[in-house]
Amino acid sequence: MAGGVILENLSGKKLFVLVSSLLFCQLACFLIGGLVAPTPSATDMVLATKCLYNDSNPWSYIRGDGKCFSYQSDIYKDSPVANTMANDIVFTFQIPTPRDGQTLDYSRWQQYLIGVLNFDIEYHIDTKMDRNLELTLDTKLGYRNVGDKDGDWKLFATSVEKRNLDCISEEKIDGHNYQCGLVPLFELGSLHHDYYLINIKIPVDEENGINFGLGHLKDVWLVVINQNGGFTSVWLYMKTIFFPFIVAIMIWFWNRVHMLARKPVLLERMLMTIGFALTLLNLPVEFLTLSYDMPFMLLLQDIRQGIFYAALLSFWLIFAGEHLMIQDSQQKNLQTYWKHLSAVAVGCISLFVFDICERGAQLKNPFYSIWATNTGTNLALTFIILAAISGGMYFLFLSYMIWKVFCNISARRSALPSMSNARRLHYEGSIYRFKFLMIATLLCAALTVIGFILGQASEGHWKWNETNNLNYASAFLVGVYGMWNIYIFALIVLYSPSHKHWPSEIDVNNSSSDTIEFSRLPTEPTEMSSLASFSRKSAFD
Amino acid sequence: MWLTLRQIIMIVVLFNVSRANWWYLGLQNYPPREFNPLLSHKENCYRYPFLKSRQQQLCDLGEKIMSVVSSGTKMAIEECQHQFSNQRWNCTTYSNNTSVFGNVLSFKSREKAYVNAITSAGVAYAITKACSRGELNECSCDNKMQRKQAKKNWQWGGCSEDIRFGEKFSRDFVDSIEDIDSVQGLMNVHNNEAGRRIIRSSMQKVCKCHGMSGSCSVRICWMKLSSFRDIGDSLMVRYEGASHVRLGEKKRKKIKKLRPIRMDRKTPNKTELVYLDTSPDYCERNESLSLLGTYDRVCQGLDGCRHLCCHRGFQIRLRDVEEKCKCKFIWCCNVACEICRYKKEEYICN
Repeated sequence: MAGGVILENLSGKKLFVLVSSLLFCQLACFLIGGLVAPTPSATDMVLATKCLYNDSNPWSYIRGDGKCFSYQSDIYKDSPVANTMANDIVFTFQIPTPRDGQTLDYSRWQQYLIGVLNFDIEYHIDTKMDRNLELTLDTKLGYRNVGDKDGDWKLFATSVEKRNLDCISEEKIDGHNYQCGLVPLFELGSLHHDYYLINIKIPVDEENGINFGLGHLKDVWLVVINQNGGFTSVWLYMKTIFFPFIVAIMIWFWNRVHMLARKPVLLERMLMTIGFALTLLNLPVEFLTLSYDMPFMLLLQDIRQGIFYAALLSFWLIFAGEHLMIQDSQQKNLQTYWKHLSAVAVGCISLFVFDICERGAQLKNPFYSIWATNTGTNLALTFIILAAISGGMYFLFLSYMIWKVFCNISARRSALPSMSNARRLHYEGSIYRFKFLMIATLLCAALTVIGFILGQASEGHWKWNETNNLNYASAFLVGVYGMWNIYIFALIVLYSPSHKHWPSEIDVNNSSSDTIEFSRLPTEPTEMSSLASFSRKSAFD
Repeated sequence: MWLTLRQIIMIVVLFNVSRANWWYLGLQNYPPREFNPLLSHKENCYRYPFLKSRQQQLCDLGEKIMSVVSSGTKMAIEECQHQFSNQRWNCTTYSNNTSVFGNVLSFKSREKAYVNAITSAGVAYAITKACSRGELNECSCDNKMQRKQAKKNWQWGGCSEDIRFGEKFSRDFVDSIEDIDSVQGLMNVHNNEAGRRIIRSSMQKVCKCHGMSGSCSVRICWMKLSSFRDIGDSLMVRYEGASHVRLGEKKRKKIKKLRPIRMDRKTPNKTELVYLDTSPDYCERNESLSLLGTYDRVCQGLDGCRHLCCHRGFQIRLRDVEEKCKCKFIWCCNVACEICRYKKEEYICN
């Protein structure tokens, strides 16, 4: 009954086959992402049509029966009515815009919708603007579905929002635009309807100083960002494929653990936890958005990812800790690691609170942004900084523990020559494989980081004509997602308890003899991985 | 009878040039004076004397797209006049004449290069904006894809930027009148393309992060259209650095290409302006070339005046002026000004 984990008992050939088939899967994920999927998200630049507000119709829209009267020309140069008040101008965006002679409509595969405003303000020597201006926007979001009448817009949300507009003028020459920062407008977690309409008024109230000091606002652009339907489907099918594999391997793992005569150890429970977290992430609940309105999807997605990262980070910590050769407590549990895990917990909780504040509040009001007010910005920054600090703490802890593990292993190595030949070879092999998996973890992490940096760098080149068929951003996202799935899969397989028998040995509880150093009674209640016990013994010496 | 070279050029020029040009669209709001309300828009399109056959077909696409072309051209001409306001030739237009700029542009000069570039850019720019506004149904997602499946393709992978359609339409509309077998056609097409490319190269990249908890795991970037003034400015820089070229023919392959006159210069790339003839002297009045000369022009600064007045000197005129000043602008459309009186110095060319 004795034995370590599968990793130690696997022959080199089998290990090679397993690793290369996993690498093949990894390559496949990368290629599917790069060749099949389009870019993860699409942006549309929509230019506002300046409609004249009509009391008889609460909605201003620009296409279809009953469309608004719009200013075609420049409102400054040849304004039709000189004393038109700002309150009567409605900046109207009706999305999606028509293409190729067809009226497009949003598909639910496009998942989410984010709107960002960009203001074109002309510099004029007479009308200088402050660098920071508080804008007050009277916004209204409506929707309509295929089959509805042209004017049949239904209210989705309405709000009066304050936003900070940060504009600078570099040239200071009349006629040039200010360089203005982006102004986030709304975030919709579900794209349930077919057409959307955004009406924005920028009212002026001199007495209260509302929108006072705004310059020659020539145009307002709305940048609409949505996920690409193609990316969603590739992503979802990937999840659907990974889901049963991870579930199956977890069941297999748990069965193997239960076939042993002992209770599962901490590392095995951690592996199950991380498997659960990954299954939660893999569960393709997004399919439900195709028929139900689920505006909380962005939040849910963040929470699922958060749980997965928390489990993964905790696992690494405990994995290193379990090989740290501390002899005092034989049966370890989570409490042993509370100091280290608290870093993970604090980080995750602060990010969670931030997320609830931002995306949770957006469930009520899609125009809400925590960054819009100074208090909100400070609050958000507090949480993010807190998360960053605990992230830093975590990595210090982890590096320290890994360093200790490697120190101990190399210290033990000097004792190896005095062991019997078969045993020595075996343990050298286990150390090698342990290191191999450590390297695999580092490699995965490094690949993620490198891929991310490359992605940022490749964004920098804006090509004339994209002849390149490989879509890098999608390849990166799908590839990394696949990579962590494969990584967890490999961990669960390789670290599940082996049922192979060791060469028979007689147990004498005598630590001075090297032949029995790593052996234990078949009835010993704790069947830990021999490597862990090896390292533990070494620390004991 | 011996004709001087100058006279020959004159004759060739006059014969060649007083032809109608689509720039005429930019002189007035659409529909133009030539529009016959009794006929349909389509029929009108095929009767406009200032449109060539391909342009008439494109005009047939709709009234909306033509009014966009018209406003783009208008914007381009205004920009040209703004940019050239301190130059000897100030981009004068003649509204009674369908050749728009008169005979000055019969010279294949730098100025013609600029006008070609800015008008071609103007059309592309206006179409791009109209597409973004959702005014035009014709705007296409991507020319690579099949039209029938536009909706599915868009839902699958989104659209290319609107600028692509703007450029494509401008290429189709503006370049169609040129004969690329002639050297003049080559020059015009080159400059038209340079104008369109300026739009793209003056765009700015803007990015936004979108990821878990506001992290930057997905970075979404897009290109922002800059103001048309910026485009006019960059084209002005290209105008000043335009290359003087000639037709260089490769003997074997019969490929016609423009090559710099001076051997030590490199072949101009696609964003640079090129010209074939040196510019005429814009100083003197010349009826046949529809040149006004620089007499009585207002100039600025000593150096500016010396150049603009062609070294003839200038007068300083003192005027009492009443002007709006200390203006306070209130969005939208309200400008509260005081009236100030002061003496203004004006420099006027002799």
